[in-house]
Amino acid sequence: MIQDTRLIEIKGVSKSFGDTQVLHEMNLYIRKREFVTLLGPSGCGKTTLLRILGGFEMPTTGEVLFKGKDMTGIPPYKRRINTVFQKYALFNHLNVYDNIAFGLNLKKPEQLGCGSRAEMKAEIARRVTRMLKLVKMEGYEKRSTNALSGGQQQRIAIARALVNEPEVLLLDEPLGALDLKLRKEMQLELKAMQQQLGITFIYVTHDQEEALTMSDTIVVMNGGRIQQIGDPKGIYDEPKNAFVADFIGESNIIDGVMLEDDLVKFSDTEFQCVDEGFATNEPVDVVIRPEDIMIVGEDVGMLTGVVESVIFKGVHYEMMIRSGDYRWKVQSTTMQPAGTRVGMTIVPYNIHIMHKLPKEA
Amino acid sequence: MKRSWYATPYALWMLLFAVVPLVFVLWYAFTTPDGAFTLSNFAEFSKPRYAAVIIRSLKLAVYCTALCLLIGYPTAWFLAGRGLNRTQSLVVLILLPMWMNLLLRTYAMMTLLDDNGVINSALAALHLGQIKFIGTEGAVLMGLVYNYLPFMVLPIYTVLKKMDWSVIEAAEDLGANPLRVMSRVVLPMSVPGIVSGVTMVFMPAVTSFAISTLLSNGKLRLAGDLIDYIFNQSSNPNRWNIGSSFSLMMLVLILISIGFLRKVDPDNQGGGLW
Repeated sequence: MIQDTRLIEIKGVSKSFGDTQVLHEMNLYIRKREFVTLLGPSGCGKTTLLRILGGFEMPTTGEVLFKGKDMTGIPPYKRRINTVFQKYALFNHLNVYDNIAFGLNLKKPEQLGCGSRAEMKAEIARRVTRMLKLVKMEGYEKRSTNALSGGQQQRIAIARALVNEPEVLLLDEPLGALDLKLRKEMQLELKAMQQQLGITFIYVTHDQEEALTMSDTIVVMNGGRIQQIGDPKGIYDEPKNAFVADFIGESNIIDGVMLEDDLVKFSDTEFQCVDEGFATNEPVDVVIRPEDIMIVGEDVGMLTGVVESVIFKGVHYEMMIRSGDYRWKVQSTTMQPAGTRVGMTIVPYNIHIMHKLPKEA
Repeated sequence: MKRSWYATPYALWMLLFAVVPLVFVLWYAFTTPDGAFTLSNFAEFSKPRYAAVIIRSLKLAVYCTALCLLIGYPTAWFLAGRGLNRTQSLVVLILLPMWMNLLLRTYAMMTLLDDNGVINSALAALHLGQIKFIGTEGAVLMGLVYNYLPFMVLPIYTVLKKMDWSVIEAAEDLGANPLRVMSRVVLPMSVPGIVSGVTMVFMPAVTSFAISTLLSNGKLRLAGDLIDYIFNQSSNPNRWNIGSSFSLMMLVLILISIGFLRKVDPDNQGGGLW
């Protein structure tokens, strides 16, 4: 599905607002038909990067290539890119139909393959109807946008962008204002639309689960820098640093020392691992997912600890287990009551060793 | 105590000083000095010198409204710009004249436009001759615009300021160049503000009083001045009746124009000024 052609290339893009630098030397390419998610906490620069792609901001340095051509100075209305805005930004002086037809109405008949104004009108009607069907809003043509619910407004905003058949659709936290159930439905629908239409989607969110659900590629950002680029599974299973590990899913992050290849020491205990290439005695971050810690008998565990609290989470129990001066978060389908002394074991490939993050980041 | 009782002072006030006088106006307008019913008071206005005043009032009010809109809209657009940090003080500067008494403002205008006023003195000093302002319709129009411009800027500014700027970005994103963003999004979305502004300028302009008398040395009367003049005509036994009928006609005229404006902004989004 994804073609190996680079549709958009972001080369050395930095952006400053006054004295604050929000993007540092970003390098990234986006392929045709790819669903790319820019993921990070608020203030990480993901929306700024999206706005640079849309043409609403200019990079301070660096360039953005679209099909190999520099599009840095091109205004938004000349780009074959459309945006779904965070707060929908519908035109409330127009009804649903005219909102969706807005972009098409600005075109010349020949741009829509029509010979006359009348032909164009019919073509626009055809396309708007098709879009309304795609977003499941048939029959809403004459409604005022003020009378729509948040979810409905979002659908109209998506239809309004997609009807122009852009090569790239930018989505700025489009589901942020919807309730959980609706959000999950829309995630699947958006993904299905993207695959059906074969359009490149660039999606901004701070919701890691949303990113994991929809993306082909996730770009994890923090502090205006790219932390990791990879597919959802790669990012979840092999986070490159403690920030990514902490931001994607839940993690225990503990200080350790790399004694030699495949041997790490933390919690005063030596563990076999599968990481190599660290300096001898290098201080490292050790990341272990809560579901990768197995609770065993006190006498056979690699670590021992006392269960401090238990929370029922539905599929599993989440226990906080104190061992030495660290509280481990452990998820298990079997419950140990608070106060129990337990043992814990971790298999080597579930121990992820990461270089310490530079202090300023 | 019922909530509505709290409005009693206001209700009494209105009854005494608005409703009762209006009843009097109605009574006088349709009667002769002897108290007999008549429509002849209204016929007075077919007299050319009265008709001319009404036409002049309407004409100047329309010009004034149009000029205020032409000057006021770009100003409001500028003030509502998001790049502006100093807007608050700029808005105050523009609205400052509103806080000053209308007569004071008009006297200031007289000082500027007088034959020996600031402008003509400056022209004379530069040996550029003199321009006759006072007594012309142009001077009256300037006075009207000067007085009522803030009332056009404010409602438009309020609507533009409230507008979600991402809507403008959305229009650009969908292919609208700056001109089309203006004509297809910004202007249509600011219609409520325009309607409010037009109402707030047109209504006082058409009934304006004193401005034109002062700026024309009493030569050019507008509707308001005419009503004043009629009521003060001590030699005319019908003065109260004719004056009342004229007042009534102006009231109807204003009601008609409001009705028309209401059609343009049916949701009353411009702040509900009527």
